[in-house]
Amino acid sequence: MELTRRDVVKGALAASAGAAAFGVPHIFVRRLTQANAQDKTIKVGILHSLSGTIAIIERSLHNAELLAIDEINAKGGVLGKKIEAIIEDPKSEVRFFKEKAEKLILKDKVAAVLGCYTSASRQSVLPVFEKYNSVLLYPTLYEAQECSYNCFYTGAVPNQQLSDFVPWLIKNVGPKFYLIGSNYIYPKETNREVKAYLAKYGGQTVAEEYAPLGSTEFSTTINKIKSAKPNVVFSDLVGDSIVAFYKQYRQFGITAKDIPIGTPITTEEEIKAMGPENAIGHYTSFNYFQSLKNPVNERFVKAFKGKYGQDKVTNAVMEAAYFQTYFLAQAIEKLKGNTDPDGLIQEGLPGQQFQAPQGKVKIDPVNHHTWLWARIGRANTDGQFDVVDESKDWIRPDPWTRVLYPDKDCDFSKVPKGSKSGTITVKRS
Amino acid sequence: MAEALFAQFLTGFSIVAILLIISLGLAVIFGVMRVINMAHGDFIMVGAYVAFVMQEYFKLNLFWGIPAAFFVLAAIGMTVEWGLIRQLYGRPLETLLATWGVSVVLQQGIRLIFGPELRYVRAPQLLDGDFAVPGSNLPFPYFRMFIIVLALGLLSLTYWILYRTDLGMRVRAVNQNRPMAEVLGIDTRRVDRFVFAFGSGLAGVAGTILAPIKTVSPGMGFPYAVDSYMVIVLGGVGRLVGTVAGASVIGEAETVLAFLYNNVIAKLLVFTLIVIVIRVFPQGLFTLQRR
Repeated sequence: MELTRRDVVKGALAASAGAAAFGVPHIFVRRLTQANAQDKTIKVGILHSLSGTIAIIERSLHNAELLAIDEINAKGGVLGKKIEAIIEDPKSEVRFFKEKAEKLILKDKVAAVLGCYTSASRQSVLPVFEKYNSVLLYPTLYEAQECSYNCFYTGAVPNQQLSDFVPWLIKNVGPKFYLIGSNYIYPKETNREVKAYLAKYGGQTVAEEYAPLGSTEFSTTINKIKSAKPNVVFSDLVGDSIVAFYKQYRQFGITAKDIPIGTPITTEEEIKAMGPENAIGHYTSFNYFQSLKNPVNERFVKAFKGKYGQDKVTNAVMEAAYFQTYFLAQAIEKLKGNTDPDGLIQEGLPGQQFQAPQGKVKIDPVNHHTWLWARIGRANTDGQFDVVDESKDWIRPDPWTRVLYPDKDCDFSKVPKGSKSGTITVKRS
Repeated sequence: MAEALFAQFLTGFSIVAILLIISLGLAVIFGVMRVINMAHGDFIMVGAYVAFVMQEYFKLNLFWGIPAAFFVLAAIGMTVEWGLIRQLYGRPLETLLATWGVSVVLQQGIRLIFGPELRYVRAPQLLDGDFAVPGSNLPFPYFRMFIIVLALGLLSLTYWILYRTDLGMRVRAVNQNRPMAEVLGIDTRRVDRFVFAFGSGLAGVAGTILAPIKTVSPGMGFPYAVDSYMVIVLGGVGRLVGTVAGASVIGEAETVLAFLYNNVIAKLLVFTLIVIVIRVFPQGLFTLQRR
């Protein structure tokens, strides 16, 4: 078949269109400029999965942030300017998180992004935030050992969750732990921390295994658990896997009285998806539970249900998403409406306090993490949690878990200006 | 250890049954029409949602959901066949693309109607609980037993239709030699329509039966589609025994290997096994002799 002129022209057009499509984003690579002071709104990016395997939980973060924005706007916005939410859905795929983050920062020129749930997604977007010097507020509990200039972490780190939870389980249930998790960094790091706490408090790891993210067949794992006879199954499963695992666990006849599941991840949301009868008696550790009895929480739950439906539930991660939105608004207000990223990072956000549904919370002045309360809950027949243990006061966050890295800490007041990481070495006696 | 291994072997039967149920529909369609239905996983997903709707809006349990899903999906299958597949007969690439389009439409449609969150489907009260199996480590859930029974039932039904009815004879004729069947006066278009509807209906039943033990969400279909293609590729096309063989080998191998090593290694080894078998038997384990 011979090449006609028409074919050549068509091919050339297609090739140049393709090249242009690739080239266009790169033309816009330049240092992020602050949002125009003449802008009528303050643009804030919302980067959470609304579809895919993580959507079950990440959707609630998106909803909570929008609720907070609505409340702030109803009171007049920030210094008269309304907050405009620019929403992106990365569909639980890590590569889309990166793409959407770039789009929000470069094209929409947002003041900051409220986003991410899995550590995989956070780790993939952080280089983007560091490269273009923007701000990410990350509401999810995570494995710590991190300290980025461009990120503010409003979720729990291990010393605010595991350091109470593991010894409590050892004391109240038993010392032999069977560790399971989804196959990526958060569960693996968390299990490393759990093992360190087990060693410290006299517990014992019976076995450790990982399932692919999104997997739903656990009969083999349950069989192995039955053979190994642990006291506790410590689960770092995430997303859909949680629902399948708890359901199959009960179907194979193991109840919380025999071998309870202890997890830092399963929330009221996953329990709703699996049905409360599959969760009864199992333990979750979190800073916040929907069942907390205080006026701020009651107002919060009522507002959330009012906006999204009476059948909706609240949970710890979206509670952090909610109050971090307020942190951002307060920071912009403190800077008199200026949304310059360095201003937000160095002056606006550190030290911010808020009366959150879990209690008073504050962003640490130097380490970009948040002072939070620690609680342990046992799931009940209503799909809610009965609080069985509570910290007496809010807990200072350790971005480097002392039981694993006793000589590391995070302190932006002690690193050179412009440094993208706040990690320092300390001598502890 | 021996008890645990035996328990694993038994659980393997339920995995085999699950694989069989999800692949049977596809085997029938692919065997007769050589159509690659990219929307197969999504037909399964719609079946699960039918179960959800029956439970939430009609307050009817899974036993009603199963025939409901069959008929709903058979209807959808017939529509897809009439509207798309038949227009693209003999053009495999276009059929692939068209059925992928159906998959996207179904997923987004379900997402628009029901939202992306996970849905909760209950197993019927009657099947709650488990019974102890002597010599085994784990009690066996009644529901998984039901899955095995249902799989055998569907297999028998398919066999009976194919080998004991006139319609089945015509299906087999078209399967063996389509042009000759046409010459002999068999209405191949009608056979195609029936086959596609029946296969889709089976996919719907698969979705319904899996909903209580897995998760129900708009994107749940893809892993099942992958699994069913593996079963058919391994087992061979055109004969029911091939599908059974494929499901059995993959199901048991994965389960036992997962117990001896772990889930990730098991999947890897099973994939490798399939590749090796295909190298030796390119048509799969059991294939139809064609002239």
